[in-house]
Amino acid sequence: MRAARAWFRVGAVVAALAIAAVAPLAGAADPSKVLHIAFPVAETGFDPAKISDLYSSTVIEAIFERLYTYDYLARPVKIVPLTAEGMPEISDGGRTWTIHLKHGIFFTRDPAFGGKPRELTAQDYVYSFERHADPANRSPWAFLVQDRFEGLDGLADAASKSGKFDYDASIPGIAAVDRYTLRFRLKRPDYLLPYTLAHTPFGAVAREVIEKYAGDTNAHPVGTGPYMLGEWRRGAKITLVANPDFRKVTWNFQAGDDPSDKTVVEQMKGKTIPQIGKVEISIIEEAQSRWLAFNGRELDYLGLPATFKGQALDDSNRLLPKLAARGVKLDRTVDPSISYAFFNFRDPLVGGFSKEKIALRRAIIMGYNLPQELAVVDKGQAVQAQMPIPEGIVGFEPGYRSINQYDPGLANELLDYFGYRKGADGFRTLPDGKPMTLRLSLGTSAIDRERSELWQKSMNAIGIRMVFDQGKFADHLKAAKACQLMMWDAAWIADYPDGDDFLQLLYGPNTGQSNNGCYQSKAYDALYEKSRTLPTDSVERQHLFLDMTRQMEVDGAWVLESSPVRNELIQPWVLGYKKHPILNAEFMYLDLAPRQ
Amino acid sequence: MGGYIVRRLWQMIPTMLGVVLLVFVLFNWVGGDPAYVLAGKISSHEQIENIRRQLGIDQPYYVQLGIFLKQIVTANFGSSWSTNEKVSHILLTRLGPSLTVLVPLLILGTLISIGLALAVAYVRGSLTDRMVMIVCTVGLSISILVYIIVFQYVFAYKLGWFPVQGWGDSFWQNLVVYASLPILIALAVSIAPDLRLYRTFVLDEINQDYVRTARAKGVSENRVIWVHVLRNASIPIITYLMSGLPGLLLGSFLIERFFSIPGIGREVILAVERSDFPVIKAITVYVAFATIFTNLLADLTYKAVDPRVQLK
Repeated sequence: MRAARAWFRVGAVVAALAIAAVAPLAGAADPSKVLHIAFPVAETGFDPAKISDLYSSTVIEAIFERLYTYDYLARPVKIVPLTAEGMPEISDGGRTWTIHLKHGIFFTRDPAFGGKPRELTAQDYVYSFERHADPANRSPWAFLVQDRFEGLDGLADAASKSGKFDYDASIPGIAAVDRYTLRFRLKRPDYLLPYTLAHTPFGAVAREVIEKYAGDTNAHPVGTGPYMLGEWRRGAKITLVANPDFRKVTWNFQAGDDPSDKTVVEQMKGKTIPQIGKVEISIIEEAQSRWLAFNGRELDYLGLPATFKGQALDDSNRLLPKLAARGVKLDRTVDPSISYAFFNFRDPLVGGFSKEKIALRRAIIMGYNLPQELAVVDKGQAVQAQMPIPEGIVGFEPGYRSINQYDPGLANELLDYFGYRKGADGFRTLPDGKPMTLRLSLGTSAIDRERSELWQKSMNAIGIRMVFDQGKFADHLKAAKACQLMMWDAAWIADYPDGDDFLQLLYGPNTGQSNNGCYQSKAYDALYEKSRTLPTDSVERQHLFLDMTRQMEVDGAWVLESSPVRNELIQPWVLGYKKHPILNAEFMYLDLAPRQ
Repeated sequence: MGGYIVRRLWQMIPTMLGVVLLVFVLFNWVGGDPAYVLAGKISSHEQIENIRRQLGIDQPYYVQLGIFLKQIVTANFGSSWSTNEKVSHILLTRLGPSLTVLVPLLILGTLISIGLALAVAYVRGSLTDRMVMIVCTVGLSISILVYIIVFQYVFAYKLGWFPVQGWGDSFWQNLVVYASLPILIALAVSIAPDLRLYRTFVLDEINQDYVRTARAKGVSENRVIWVHVLRNASIPIITYLMSGLPGLLLGSFLIERFFSIPGIGREVILAVERSDFPVIKAITVYVAFATIFTNLLADLTYKAVDPRVQLK
């Protein structure tokens, strides 16, 4: 009897230990919950320092963790700690940023760690940031670290010469003060740093992993995030499985002003992140295939393809009754992006700051039939861009209205006044009588052809002859960087949710990098430089943003076009969905109810 | 025979050199500079030059051409510029799905087309023959895109007989579940032109004197058609079939895109969109090789089918 009691005690202890061992996982991801979604474009890989496409970034976001991220529900977006213990400690007038890491965060298991648990440390972030400066990685995000951190440019220059980046060298700009403390020293005060710290490509990688799989780092993503790569059939299917060692994180976001937030909070509050055990991402390039797969319940949510708008939404952009009756939900948000056509300020025809050139550009802007573009080309799925900063981005001013509205009558008067007279053929000439032909560069897609027809019609109405240069993006980009395109129909999507990301496109010194219109206005540049010295929540900075916007309008730098609207369709069994303007891996914050 | 094969293989060299030169010139002329895309949204002149150096496109053209030739000789085309995946791995992994669709299609399409061609040629001029020809002409006039959209909507979505799209891990699952509808569509598209062509080949033979003689001698109609006519009609059929074989390496990009089949056709389009020259180079060279080999194979098959053919 005594022996039996002893065995019972041993059994009880073992059971208690077993329960304790799994306790951190209680309420964690359910392997039977499988989410099916689709990417319309194939991914390229999963090395944060090597990729820049949206779809690879979505996967990376779920695998690698940045120091900071964005609150899932807060609008406008709000930065919150992810692996950092709290918000950064800023000193030295905005030049020194100190960040403490949470303890006990571990990378997912990998042979590179020799079978031992591998904790995330400050040194991992030093290494991960430095990788973007290493010329061997050809990081598309190098611009976010260049000319920013003390000592880093020197390391990059040395690597360019020697062919090898010295990751063991210490620099003051990015340093691990101790195992859990990271310090950034900037060349100048920079209040945009938190956006970089929250940017997906700046998630932590482990040096051992990168070195072990140096031949193909794109195929071996090992991070600390809620998911890890399960199966990957390149260009076809990506399976993410919940990280079994992920620390306990509770869904605890607060509802904002949006009425739908309340439902989201009710569905998710208190649950452990992540809830979904497996995410299967199929690459489905054709819109019809995605649409039918969603309707056939093979996909759990879907970015509505523009061609199927009429089969899902009515004229008021509400869900059609047949979809609503199935319990499908619609999430409509304005994309944090803008489309615009820039003028090349070095072009002999449209460039320069003389009054007649400014008048010509502004007449072209006012002559372009933007309302028709929104209604016909964009099929009502875009909003007019009144300023270079789109909705949902810091610096966007809801009541702001551009001075360059569509007004072909005024455009004609302006051209007449400045001596752009019509010839016998009905087209205008330059004030000196020489012929005038606008040349707009654009892509070769069907929507580009529609745009070119609209441009032609609009310019005919104000007597301006226009030709089109339809070609490859790479060719146009090369020519634009050399200030050789007269006009280019371009677009820009937010890298970080701040107006600076858009207004830097017009900053003079960025010519040859991102300022493809080669716009160089002293007044604009002075305003921009001042804005860079101010905290992102400063009222003065907001005024500067508006002044810059007005300045580029007065100069007629861009034909501001639109920001597209995203229509996401969500199946009734998906819980907690709300499209985030910057984050893309929303599935981390979702749950699945049983299908009915 | 051995000497003939060696001569033909020797003749491959100038043909391949021509292909290599053409691909190289075309890429450098219209391919665009991938460094500008790979550099990301904001890039400096130095970054772009660094990428061009790493890709080797800053080298003089004759050096780049030399590297291309070396890659062909060593069968090592390096890695994709956009994904860093080994080109050999891309070809090996994407070829399987394409062949899973295209090999059954080739076999089924050939058997069905030849069988129907013999049948309608046998009843030439009859109502059946005319009806089949009208159906073929209508079928020929419809774009493959229409077949794909309609079949996918009706058979996959509405009737639910097949999945709308997808691809799995098991060969049999892929063949039976995922490839069935794409094969059905490709059959619907390809049988009409093949049937008309093969019928013409068969009719050419069916009116020959030897057929009349065989019938006069009392040879059964089955033997006349399946042995004598088919054997003689097989030379143009073989020529036609062989000319289509290299296409297996290119896949069928429309079908692969609509049904999310991770095949070589999709990969070719992606490579062109991304200016991924290593992938384009490898596929072009392998298709050129395959074309030359299948031409040789066709000539050898003529000899096997018709002993009168002399290989010189």
